[in-house]
Amino acid sequence: MKISSRQIQKQNTRKKIIDTAYRVFSEKGFSVPSSVIAAEAGVSHGSIFAHFPTMNDLLNSLLSDFGDKIGTSLHVLAKKCDSVENLLKEHLKVLEEYEAFYSRFISERDRLPDEAKNAFAMIQSTAAFHFSSVIEHEIEKGTVKKLPTHILFNTWLGLVHYYLMNKDFFSDSNESVIKRYGPELISAYLKLIKNESEVY
Amino acid sequence: MKKCIACGMPMEDISDFAANDPGKDYCVHCSRPDGEMQSFEEKKENLTRFIVRTQGFDENAARKIAEDMMRKLPAWKEYFD
Repeated sequence: MKISSRQIQKQNTRKKIIDTAYRVFSEKGFSVPSSVIAAEAGVSHGSIFAHFPTMNDLLNSLLSDFGDKIGTSLHVLAKKCDSVENLLKEHLKVLEEYEAFYSRFISERDRLPDEAKNAFAMIQSTAAFHFSSVIEHEIEKGTVKKLPTHILFNTWLGLVHYYLMNKDFFSDSNESVIKRYGPELISAYLKLIKNESEVY
Repeated sequence: MKKCIACGMPMEDISDFAANDPGKDYCVHCSRPDGEMQSFEEKKENLTRFIVRTQGFDENAARKIAEDMMRKLPAWKEYFD
């Protein structure tokens, strides 16, 4: 079926609104009014509501796209990892790519609607899936301490999220916290979880 | 890239597909040993257990997340209509 120029224009406007919302939410947080997003996107305020009847619809649509993108990136990069060190590097590589938005997301998650919370759970479940398969293999080999998988995963996530959520204390500019501290976090985390003879 | 209709996992390599069959729409993690796709209840329980084991969530919270994940997937659409 041929798509009319009107439909193409409609799709373009929808994409422009989502892309702008992604940028504005990354910079200012999720409580930004729709009028700001409309002004930044260069569309009328009414146009936003023609595409997304409520701000939650816009947010859910954006987070669903974001969850798909970050989930696929994590999957593609993590799949080939054969060591926990490589897996952590790949995890940080993906988070760095989406750092500003991801930081806002984890900081404001509990104030967002249920669907947004689901997007968060889906992203972490994808990360946990790859993390568990690699780390459980290392536990079997004796290279990683015998600790419950969820404790190992949550400790790693807690460490990374602490730096992201307190970025203003860890960085005095717009530089990436992950880029700056990532190698130190990986090295320290490995020292914590590796059996002594295996620490490098 | 094809995605599993039952869990959403991207399926890239042949080993990702159920029974190593790229003609299948579901992945190795969503199939039974005989290659058939798991039932709705089996998948929900497996996902719940996976979330508890890997992320340590409360079991009821994990079950809700599992249901919400499944709600978006084509294989389980009829269970949420």
